[in-house]
Parts: sequence; C-alpha cells; structure tokens
Amino acid sequence: MTQSPARTRTFVQALTEALDLALERDPNVYMLGEDIGEMGGDFGVTRGLWAKYGETRVRDTPLSEAAIIGTAVGSAMMGMRPVAEIMFADFLGECYDQLVNNAAKMHYMFDGQFKAPIVVRTACGGGFGGGPHHSQSVEGWFLNVPGLVIVAPATPADAKGLLLASIENDNPILFLEHKALYRIKGDVPEGYYTTPLRQARIAREGKDVTVVATMKMVHEALAAAAELEKEGINVEVIDLRTILPYDAETVLASVRKTGRAVVANEAPRTGGLASELSAVIGEACFRDLKAPVERVTGLDTPIPFSLVLEKYILPGKEQVVEGIRRVMK
Amino acid sequence: MTLDIETLVDLYRDMWLIRAFEFGLEREFKKGNVPGMLHTGVGQEATQAALAAHLHATDAFFPDHRCHGINALAQEKHQGDGERIMAELFGRATGVSGGKGGSLHSANPEVGNFGDNAVEGSYMATVLGVALAYQMRRQPNVACCIIGDGTVGRGEFHESLNMAAIWKLPVLYALVNNGYAISMPVGKGHASADIVDLARGYGMPCVVVDGNDIELAYAEVQKAVDYIRGGNGPYFLEFKTWRWQGLFSGEFRPAEEVRYWKEERDPLKLARAKIIENSALTADDVDRIEAEVKAEVEGWIDYAKQSPMPEPAKATANVYVGWTVEN
Ligand SMILES: Cc1ncc(C[n+]2csc(CCOP(=O)(O)OP(=O)(O)O)c2C)c(N)n1
Ligand SMILES: [Mg+2]
Repeated sequence: MTQSPARTRTFVQALTEALDLALERDPNVYMLGEDIGEMGGDFGVTRGLWAKYGETRVRDTPLSEAAIIGTAVGSAMMGMRPVAEIMFADFLGECYDQLVNNAAKMHYMFDGQFKAPIVVRTACGGGFGGGPHHSQSVEGWFLNVPGLVIVAPATPADAKGLLLASIENDNPILFLEHKALYRIKGDVPEGYYTTPLRQARIAREGKDVTVVATMKMVHEALAAAAELEKEGINVEVIDLRTILPYDAETVLASVRKTGRAVVANEAPRTGGLASELSAVIGEACFRDLKAPVERVTGLDTPIPFSLVLEKYILPGKEQVVEGIRRVMK
Repeated sequence: MTLDIETLVDLYRDMWLIRAFEFGLEREFKKGNVPGMLHTGVGQEATQAALAAHLHATDAFFPDHRCHGINALAQEKHQGDGERIMAELFGRATGVSGGKGGSLHSANPEVGNFGDNAVEGSYMATVLGVALAYQMRRQPNVACCIIGDGTVGRGEFHESLNMAAIWKLPVLYALVNNGYAISMPVGKGHASADIVDLARGYGMPCVVVDGNDIELAYAEVQKAVDYIRGGNGPYFLEFKTWRWQGLFSGEFRPAEEVRYWKEERDPLKLARAKIIENSALTADDVDRIEAEVKAEVEGWIDYAKQSPMPEPAKATANVYVGWTVEN
C-alpha cells in the first residue's frame, strides 16, 4: 500500500476516484446498473465515468436486478471484472438468488473451475426517512452465505482503498455504502492504492473497553468514546471493514486486552452481525471478560418512515454510550 | 431427407448415447448407486443432439436438469472422456466437478459446459454475462441456455429476454417444451401453451421446432447459430417434445398421450426408420451401432463405480478463491 499525499475528499468522491482508476487500469473492468450512465447514479458515485469511458463500459440497465447480477456473474466467469450497482440495498432481495446461489457458489459447486469476481456496490442504512424499503442494513441477510465477501467502509480513504481491493479480488463481493456516510469528508490519498480485505482497523486505541463497529456506527462509537473519555473511560474502537469473512484476530486481541466488549451494528438484533461477533467473543474470551458482551443494534422491527419513529429504532451515539456503561458496571 | 446420411448416422449415435446413458443411470439410481435426485432426458434426445452438434467447445451452454446427455456428448466430443460426467453423477473424485456438483451441477468450461444450476431458470441471467463478454471482445460465439417450459414463470426469463434484446446479445434460448413442469401443464401454467407467443414481444426471431425430429432440429439450430454468430442478436427456439419420465411417484399423464409419444413420436425410432429407408444400412447394422454405444456407456458406468470417492476434507476447499476460512 503506497500512500501518496492525501487531499480532502467526500466518501462519494473517493468511490468515484476508485472506479475511475479501475476502469483506466484494466480493460476487463466495466460497470452496470440503473441510471449509472449519463446521470451518474442515484448518489452520483459514477458521475463523469460514462462520458470518459463510454456506454459499453458504463452500462445503463433496466430495472432488472436479477439480470444485472446474472450478467455480472456470467461475464466474471469469462474473466471480466464487473462492478454492478444495486441502487438501494433493500432491492438485493430481487437478486438474492443470483448472489447466494450463483455468485457465492460458482467457485465451489464446480470445484474451482469458475471464479465470479464481481463487486456489487449498494447504498444501505437508515436515518434519513427513507422508510421500510430504502433504509435497511442488509449484512445479516448474507452472513450465512459462505463464499460471499461483505465489505463495508467507514471512511473516504477506506472507501477508495477497499473498493480497489474488492475489484482486484477474485471473489464475489457485496460492497456496502452507508448513505449517511456519502457526504462525509476525509483525507484520501491520491492515485491507486488498495486497503487489505479481511483486516479490521483500530480506529481509536483504548484500554478499558472494545467497541467493534461497522460503517456509520464507527462514527457513533468514536463520538461515544470522546464523550466517555471525559469521565475517564478509555474506549478502543475497531472498524471491522470486512464483515464476511471477518478479522476475528484483531477483534479478539483487543477484547483480551480490554476485557470488555460492545458490538455496534445498525441492523436488527436477532441473528445479525452483532450476535455473531458476540458469540465469537464469548467463546474465545470467556475467561478474559469482566462483563457479558453488549449488543448495540437496531430494534427487531422494519424501518418506519417518520424520523421520530426511525430514531427510536436505530442505534446512535447514545445507545453506544449506554452499552459501554453497562459493560463498565 | 435434407441431411446427408453420414450426419444422420452420427446424430443417431449421439442420440443413442444419450438414451443409453440415461437408461443405465436410471438402473443404477434404482439400485441406490447414484445419490440425490434424478431427472432424465429420455424422449428429448433429438433436441440435445442437435444443439451439441452445432455448439463449439469455445461456445457456452448452460444445461438444464435433463441434460446429462448433452453434457456427456460435449465431454466426449471435445475431450474424449464422457465417463467423467458419469463419475460426477456417482459423486466421485474423477467427476467433472470433483463430486461437488452431481447431476445438477456438472460443468467443464473447456468443452463449453457452463454448468447447470438447480434453481430453475436462474442461469437465464448468467447467460447474459457470458454473451456480453463475447460481444465486448468481438468473439463470434454463442451463449446458449437450455431451459424447460417451467422456467417461463420465472422473472429471470423475462429479464433475460429483455436485456438480451436491448443489448443484441449473442444468446440462443433453447426452450424445451415437453408439456409439463412436474405436474403443471404448460397451457395452465403460462398465458400461452406456445411459449414463442410470449417471447415474440421481445423482438427476436422465435421459431417452433419439432424437437423429436432430428433432421428438423438440426436444421433449425444451424439457422439460429448462424444468425447469432453473424452478430444479429438473440434467437429463441421452442422445441416441442415430451419427456418419458413422469413424476417421481409414477405416471400421471393420460395413457393415450403416453402411447402416442412413446410409440409414434420416439425420436430414436423415427431416425432409425429414416436411416434404414434411405441408406444401405440394414436393421442389423443399426443394431450393431446401438450395441456399440451401449457397451461404451456401460464402460463409463464401470469407470464411475471404480473411481475413488473424494477426500472428505475436500468439502471445505474452494469456498473462496485464494482464501481458506477456518472451520
Ligand atoms: C426456481 C425453482 N422452483 C422450483 C424448482 C423445483 N423444480 C424442479 S424441476 C421443476 C419443473 C421444471 O419444469 P420444466 O422447466 O418444464 O422442466 P422439465 O422437468 O419438464 O424438463 C420444478 C418446479 C426449482 N428447481 N427451481
Ligand atoms: Mg417441462
């Protein structure tokens, strides 16, 4: 990972830079999705790329999510490097079979004869009044799918580096972009670089308690850590970055050090990432733990429209603070 | 006759290979030697043989659940080891998918076999990507998906035809209309019993073919493949045929229907009569061809039975490319 000088960029700009670099570097890379061409995508991530690379490599599709993923998989079996955009993660249900039964099993079920190196970018997460079908955190829908990779950046620099690493990688990758992060700014190195997959990032070092978080919850956890620092509670925040297969080593090393763990994930509680991490920490660190692992998650409900209702069910800084207080007791 | 006799005899041999393969397999399945589920292509041999005859090793086909025959033909024709399809069905290490796939997931891209997918119709989406790769690389190849009438109910059927049409992709849709999806008659399950009626709206050539007449099937596949290789976009063939296999629980179709298709419309009987009528070959000569092919297939069954089982620990291999995950 060669790091050139960094400039300030938004999360969206960082993603666009990555796509631009990938298209420029490898003729096998192409993109497909709804309104990603001249319009530049619903969130502007592909803006300018259609004009630069043409409609053959930046392909607009109809509302055919299964065909989008199927096309990506078929072309990947031929050695292409497709980057598909599914406008909202909620629509992954429309191509669930393509991801779960085709992409994720393509390498396995024919005993290694095919690869399906696809990247499926999608906008996920709530907090903006998107309602039940434009707000969900979907990682739990896919955790039980061996063969699939789930990548979830929290910062602009990682958005770029992880997207480039995902495009280079030979596995099918679901690349989650939390909508609340699209406009955040951060330092982004210039030029081509990759950020390693399956490697969590220690976003903040601390000694009293470990918070393992993903995407927007990383920022909520950092805010909670800053607040609790004033009370003398020193919080370590781990940004998981790759959700599947995840970096248990970094997580467990941190929990062994601090003896306390909070897992923060926006998705519903039951059967989700937080439950999985809680189980793994419980199994591996039972004797190091000074308190039971706390899960800070969304409630087990669909996501309601009205902002008051939505706020009630989604976790934020306050819930992380409360979670930390519970394990510190 | 439109076909020269050598080609017809070759196709007859291919059809016989499919039938011998399926009958042998069914026998072993009933003995408990073949795990899982079994769907056979008996009755549909002409359709598969016609497709196999025109697809190159550099083309791609996605076989359906009754396609052991075309899988074996492609494997035998391009690599000379059709027995590896049989071995896969027996779950052996020597199988084309190392025993991981079985009847519903046998593949070998080297011979153009891109593998079945037991979620019916799902590779109608995948075939688009293979075709798109051919198109982007300017290769005059055909990406074919062989699909049953049942798949017409799937969303992917419509997404696929639409996308292939708007992008002019080199896709050959080979729809095998055998009258039923398990127990559902085609006319009851779909808005038309003639699937071409539904496909036509997508603006590609749609042709109904007698799927039990090898001569006609061969000629129509030839036309379709030429059209696609010429860069003209997708093509839809509806093969009208009939499967001999009923339900797992037995026969459910009217006795007269069963008699008609088995007695009067058997693609092998029809071809055999044509050969004897139009060539110097006698019934004995044709019997000899049949016996030869059958012996070869029995050899494949022996090979499969004698092949080693996969190493159990291989079950965790190839989940990810380049990564091993702790289990
Ligand atoms: C998506 C999906 N739904 C249901 C099934 C179960 N199933 C297996 S074969 C079959 C019928 C398929 O009918 P058709 O396409 O006409 O093929 P045929 O068996 O008649 O050759 C069904 C419903 C399946 N495998 N996949
Ligand atoms: Mg049918």
